[in-house]
Amino acid sequence: MIDTDLAIIGAGAAGLAAATEAVEHGLTVTIADDNPRAGGQYFRQPPLPFRRNGQSWFDKEATRANALFDVLGHPKVTHIPDAVVWNLPEPNVLAVAAGDRSTRVRAGAIVVATGAHDRPVPFPGWTLPGVITAGGAQNLLKGNRMVPGRRIVVAGNGPLLFVVGASLVRAGVDVAAIVEAAPVNARLTAALPGLLAAPKLLRQAIDYRWTLLRAGVPVRTGMTAVAAHGEENVNAVSIAPIDGEGRIDRNRIERVDCDALVVGFGLTPSVELMRLIGCDLDFHPARGGWLPRRSTGFETSVPGVFAAGDGAAIGGVEIALLEGRLAALEAAVRLGRARDASVRRAALTHKLARIDRFRRAIERLFAAPCHYLDLLADDTVVCRCEEVTAGELKMRGREAWTSMVQLKSTTRLAMGRCQGRNCMATLASLVAQSMGEPIAKLAYPRTRPPARPIALGDLLHEPIAPPELPADPHLPRGQKVT
Amino acid sequence: MADLPKDTDILVIGAGIAGLCSALYLARAGRTVAVVERGEPWGDASGANAGTLSLQVKRPEVLHITRRAIELWQDFKADFGIDVGFGRPGGLRVATNAREVDMLRHSQAEQRTLGIEVEWLDGNRLRDTAPWLGPTVLAATWCDWDSYSSPLQAGRALIDGARRDGVAVIGGAAVTAIAKETKGYRVTTALGVIACNTLVIAAGAWSGEVAAILGVTLPVSADVNMLSVTEPAPHLIDKVVTHIGGILSLKQYPNGTCLIGGGWQGQGGLASGRKEIDHEQLMHNFRVAIGVVPALANLRLVRSWSGFEGVAADALPLFGPLPGRPAAYVNACARGGYSQGPALGLLMAELISAGRTSLPMERFYPARFAS
Amino acid sequence: MTGRRVDDGLDRGQPFQFFLDGEAIVAYPGESIAAALVAHGRNVARRTTRADVPRGYFCGMGVCWDCVMVVNGTPNVRTCRTEAAPNMKVQTQRGVGEAS
Ligand SMILES: Cc1cc2nc3c(=O)[nH]c(=O)nc-3n(C[C@H](O)[C@H](O)[C@H](O)COP(=O)(O)OP(=O)(O)OC[C@H]3O[C@@H](n4cnc5c(N)ncnc54)[C@H](O)[C@@H]3O)c2cc1C
Ligand SMILES: Cc1cc2nc3c(=O)[nH]c(=O)nc-3n(C[C@H](O)[C@H](O)[C@H](O)COP(=O)(O)OP(=O)(O)OC[C@H]3O[C@@H](n4cnc5c(N)ncnc54)[C@H](O)[C@@H]3O)c2cc1C
Ligand code: FES
Repeated sequence: MIDTDLAIIGAGAAGLAAATEAVEHGLTVTIADDNPRAGGQYFRQPPLPFRRNGQSWFDKEATRANALFDVLGHPKVTHIPDAVVWNLPEPNVLAVAAGDRSTRVRAGAIVVATGAHDRPVPFPGWTLPGVITAGGAQNLLKGNRMVPGRRIVVAGNGPLLFVVGASLVRAGVDVAAIVEAAPVNARLTAALPGLLAAPKLLRQAIDYRWTLLRAGVPVRTGMTAVAAHGEENVNAVSIAPIDGEGRIDRNRIERVDCDALVVGFGLTPSVELMRLIGCDLDFHPARGGWLPRRSTGFETSVPGVFAAGDGAAIGGVEIALLEGRLAALEAAVRLGRARDASVRRAALTHKLARIDRFRRAIERLFAAPCHYLDLLADDTVVCRCEEVTAGELKMRGREAWTSMVQLKSTTRLAMGRCQGRNCMATLASLVAQSMGEPIAKLAYPRTRPPARPIALGDLLHEPIAPPELPADPHLPRGQKVT
Repeated sequence: MADLPKDTDILVIGAGIAGLCSALYLARAGRTVAVVERGEPWGDASGANAGTLSLQVKRPEVLHITRRAIELWQDFKADFGIDVGFGRPGGLRVATNAREVDMLRHSQAEQRTLGIEVEWLDGNRLRDTAPWLGPTVLAATWCDWDSYSSPLQAGRALIDGARRDGVAVIGGAAVTAIAKETKGYRVTTALGVIACNTLVIAAGAWSGEVAAILGVTLPVSADVNMLSVTEPAPHLIDKVVTHIGGILSLKQYPNGTCLIGGGWQGQGGLASGRKEIDHEQLMHNFRVAIGVVPALANLRLVRSWSGFEGVAADALPLFGPLPGRPAAYVNACARGGYSQGPALGLLMAELISAGRTSLPMERFYPARFAS
Repeated sequence: MTGRRVDDGLDRGQPFQFFLDGEAIVAYPGESIAAALVAHGRNVARRTTRADVPRGYFCGMGVCWDCVMVVNGTPNVRTCRTEAAPNMKVQTQRGVGEAS
């Protein structure tokens, strides 16, 4: 068991910022992340053996990343890499699976900075090799300096599509189209005042857009991918306009050839650990779905457990950096160790408010008008792990198996290794639609540990006292027999 | 969702294995049956359980019930067209130290006197039978009755099957009050009132609570059993594995997932309704499992959960008429009640329709706690 | 898809070989198995249990488990999170973990 003042789950932008803030208040910090190297998604770095000259467009954030990584060398910081925080057996204890380094961490306070994963939107062909998520494309580029194809379509909804599209262009890819569901062009003027709140971010956004424009990439707004085609690999994608009601206009389908399709429909916060300890969650589709309810001090409904960054509400890297700092500051306050709390809080909150105006403008710009359930055909796989199709779910529904819990247990949906990350949202939408209830009202199946799959063998390493064995296994276990 | 009927001949409280099997066999005997369930049908112990149908781990008192039950499990498909994901690979009950070897010998001898033969395996014969067992396993008994069924498949199939046979299975209908009428009972549920001639309490760990509504005290407590499932993996463990100390139950399903249990206790209880994982108990569970089958160390854990298993004070089934309450019965708290469920359901149907049972059941009547 | 490496301002070091179902694949130190395969135009990591259809690299962050393959005899290895190594034996996975 490791004892620490502050435990941080996730060493991405938010987690690293939290660690940086925490040591400035003299706190001891233990930060665990399931990647071999820190950085999370945005600050993901190429492998150590790669030698970089630092001049490349792809290294533009290397300096900022390295500055963030500095904190990991601080004497008060213990970094546990390659480590899955798989449970919070008590609200102040982390269960960490990390091979023979597996342990428990007892903390004065916790910052959950677990980031997000791509929001899954099933459509015919989405399971084909060559169809990859926007995050997956970014990770291929950032983590391996690789692109997934020669001629690529980027489709879905949200600002990340433009980031991915521009990065691919910079990497010399023929980006056949960006297919964006929201009618962003029509909304630009209205969004401008909000966007101006963060000029640096706006300049970056313009740079992405300009990169696409210069390369002559068609940006098809108000459209969506309706099917990916191919046998062993994607070779084309069908796209169609979305009408004013958000319906897909299937009379105007176009086919675009490609050898890879990147799909991104926004991100979903990784809230499993917070679900496990019973943090109150609210449903906010615009911020990614189910989010922990937080106080103004970034504390969840479970005292001492703070949440920051994309793991708490999708907001992007700049917000993650500021929230990480603020959450650690408030944790230090709670532990009675904060220095200059009000001055720091004021400065950070001021910056956050500015970027938040930018974020809200972006959010309105990209608010998705599309009915994604309309993309489902009967043979579309909803649950990728257990290969459960939309048709099977509908059939169960007709047989009066209607709740999420029932549909899960009668189809095995969400029982695979992705633990529902790729299907639960679709199931919720389907059930909500058929019951005529809002998603926020639905009873979800309970989240159970582990937060992510872990090797059983990892759990042999933690020292624990030998068990007391039942003398008569048949009798109630609560009751001692001699 | 089905509507609550106004009345029924027989009302079963609880849609777990005990309630559904009672209903199924009663319907087969031509009776009109409704099952009312507080939450989701199959939503408690029966839906959470490991699906191990092991004969040789059972207490001597219930061996014959269990053997009958495994026959019924096996025949569900032929009898009702119900596919419960049954498999009968046989099972090994292992011992890992000298004391356990003695216990296993003793148990084997005791089972023999009751006409149940299990075969002793050790040394090379044991390794040949199960090369995947670890070196800590010194001996095992082999029982070819040991089986499994899939609780997920069985739940769906039993409910569909019961509905096909005309049983109303109604979820979200918690029983809150029961009034004695001149003939039968008036039962108040969350969905309304239903009248019945005969009442069967099959409310699992909550059967004490429900019996208390009728003014009958049953000594029921609840264990919080934990269970874990791994990722699907290539087939390795081709038998049901149990432990003489009652601390392991393990098997690999046809889909490749391994289920690991063994009665290790989670946190919580009936009063709070909490059923959480206990970290150290779970560690122990995995250590025992990996000791017995070392290859498990390489598999990923996908999910651990816990559920309430009702147990009577003497850990024997509560089965039979409720003392002093005419036409009211209980069928609950059999230890390893999933294995025994079909037989206990059939016997309950016999008791209600014919007034007698094809196996001797008096010793399990709740009246044994009356004094 | 036929992926490729982007070597803008980058020296990947000394290449080495590993094997996909017997075929030699070039990789550089630190690259993930999945990335090296994508760069080689080999995108099918596994075939599924029920429908026997191909799957490959999808999320790139270790959460979807679609990129699992048999690596040096061990099934269900997430190739997006596992570095390639010289002479590694990588096999397309079938169902729950058989090598094809
Ligand atoms: C795959 C992907 C790629 C992205 N790429 C970009 C991009 O290129 N540009 C951009 O602007 N935005 C990108 N985003 C958006 C990105 O999420 C944010 O901009 C930013 O990374 C948020 O920082 P964070 O610290 O909140 O989360 P993250 O950076 O995601 O960091 C969270 C960290 O926590 C770890 N973690 C989660 N759960 C556990 C656990 N139980 N145990 C241990 N560790 C855990 C994660 O592995 C991760 O390393 C991407 C998002 C995703 C999902
Ligand atoms: C984790 C775990 C693993 C197990 N593994 C095995 C195993 O491998 N093999 C085996 O044989 N046994 C196993 N068991 C035991 C087995 O699951 C139980 O003995 C059996 O399922 C009990 O069935 P039941 O129908 O009596 O109870 P339940 O399945 O609990 O059903 C009782 C039902 O009554 C309902 N109810 C309660 N109160 C009311 C009310 N007031 N009104 C209406 N309805 C009400 C409940 O909601 C519940 O659905 C295990 C148990 C657990 C918890
Ligand atoms: S690509 Fe999703 S886990 Fe590897």
